[in-house]
Amino acid sequence: MPEPESPRAPPPTERTLVVGIGNEHRGDDAAGLLVVRRVRPLLGGVGRVVEATGAGTELIDLWEGRELVVAVDAVRSGGAPGSVVRREVGPHPLPTPLSATSSHGFSLGQAVALGQALDRLPGTLILYGIEAAQFDPGSPPSAAVAAAIEPVAQQVASEVRRYLGLHGPTFPEVLADA
Amino acid sequence: MTDRTIAVDYLARVEGEGALRVRIHDRTVEEVELRIFEPPRFFEAFLRGRSYLESPDITARICGICPVAYQMSACHALEHGLGLRVTPAVRALRRMLYCGEWIESHALHVYLLHVPDFLGYPDAIRMAKDHPILVQRGLRLKKAGNAIMTALGGREIHPVNVRVGGFYRCPSREELEPLRPVLEEALGIAEETVRFAAGLPFPAVEEDYEFVALRHPEEYPMNEGEVVSSRGLRIPATRFEEEFREFQVPHSNALHSMRRDGGSYLVGPMARYALNRDRLLPRADAVAREVGLEPVVRNPFRSVLVRSVEIVQACEEALRLLDGYRPPERPFEVAAGPFDVPGCAAATEAPRGLLYHRYQLDATGLIEEAKIVAPTSQNQKRIEDDLREVVTRSLELDDAHLTDACERAIRNHDPCISCATHFLTLDLARD
Repeated sequence: MPEPESPRAPPPTERTLVVGIGNEHRGDDAAGLLVVRRVRPLLGGVGRVVEATGAGTELIDLWEGRELVVAVDAVRSGGAPGSVVRREVGPHPLPTPLSATSSHGFSLGQAVALGQALDRLPGTLILYGIEAAQFDPGSPPSAAVAAAIEPVAQQVASEVRRYLGLHGPTFPEVLADA
Repeated sequence: MTDRTIAVDYLARVEGEGALRVRIHDRTVEEVELRIFEPPRFFEAFLRGRSYLESPDITARICGICPVAYQMSACHALEHGLGLRVTPAVRALRRMLYCGEWIESHALHVYLLHVPDFLGYPDAIRMAKDHPILVQRGLRLKKAGNAIMTALGGREIHPVNVRVGGFYRCPSREELEPLRPVLEEALGIAEETVRFAAGLPFPAVEEDYEFVALRHPEEYPMNEGEVVSSRGLRIPATRFEEEFREFQVPHSNALHSMRRDGGSYLVGPMARYALNRDRLLPRADAVAREVGLEPVVRNPFRSVLVRSVEIVQACEEALRLLDGYRPPERPFEVAAGPFDVPGCAAATEAPRGLLYHRYQLDATGLIEEAKIVAPTSQNQKRIEDDLREVVTRSLELDDAHLTDACERAIRNHDPCISCATHFLTLDLARD
């Protein structure tokens, strides 16, 4: 049986967040946005689903106080285009550069590091990275990345459902609540 | 004979998008090339054939950080040409929305980008470990800006509530009232920010800028005013393209801007402040005087102080507008045509400076031509001039320190890299 909600607990719809990060006008950088657009109907109103296209600092406000956050972003890690990396963020910084020359360049990696430094991370933060091939302005995503969108969206949606099913109201109850 | 090359890849860490290349030959700076990819070119093409009513929403997507600026310039340009006059309440709401964007953008730059430079940290994250309160303060201010944008823009990022002629829907007084305590707190934090910034250690540098900004008869400029310069220019925004020219540089696919005589110029907080010091509201004016801020700031490092004063100004202005707000009878005005008219041009003050839009519509209101001149493309040539001087002054430094000095010089002006990708670079060990 799930634990009863305490009066101060966020409503079920606010307990989880799926956030896609990217720029839809820069080729494979759109991957995170495309995934959450697919996750939204799959979750059918469960939890918050947000597209983030601005500075990484908005992520800190978005994820603070939530139990589970799944962030989806394009990555460059040397893997094959379209391959998927899943990482649960712990106390250690992500292996990513932290400097910026414009406030517009504040990345997910920096947001995670800042969240760690200020103790402003969600209960659980899971990153899904889709290996990108190109960031050409105005171009559509590459075929390898486009092919990864649906499986990642399915996996993210079931991750959120499973979490709520294990640690909170069951899926139909949440739906009813929403 | 020695050759040195300094490279700063700051756009998006995408290979081949190196943003700065400096070549030094025999202790002479031979070349400074700043390269910032400009999405407005792409959007200008994207807008052709679309209805003029779509322009505010489409251009808002040019930049994730300054969507309001693009919406405002698009609306004003089209309304000017189409003869639409918005109601005073709509005008006030738009100004309030712009205040939100200024607060958010400036707070980010001041606390997460600029202050670490002065306190000797490589980035805000490492500064946050020693000075968490400073970073929390910045995030608090940024959140206040977001609160305005959420209340008026419909969404935090990419506001969707603005339209040509007004707003799709205007909030009631009750809906806006929750902003009051948020803004009152932000105003106090902003004043503290000015006092704090005044105590930072500034290098003794003075640059000979030609400042360009809007100037309004009564207000610190945001949405309206003539285009003026510190060297005597004074024109309506519709004549912008007569006085400012864009040119292609060989090292970049972006267009740079210059004055008609070929000189560089600077837009943004330092320019606005220098040309409108007498238009600050009482508390912004008082705190600027209290810390002894000179009426014209020519030291680019001190732009952190000017931005801080502008945060005070934006909080104070938003509160003032909130006090006087009465919802309009009609949220928007509708253009009756004709649409294929000249004069669909305007400039507004984005956080980073003057943002010019011009449109040519066909008889049915479809966009035939769009011209967008963003603040950063206007500042690129001037930032290159700053960099040339920084490198010339700092030739004794080793490459790492010289690169750091160049990065600081760029950060002083916080270029808008609206084109930026947001992907994550991960250094993963693979089996």
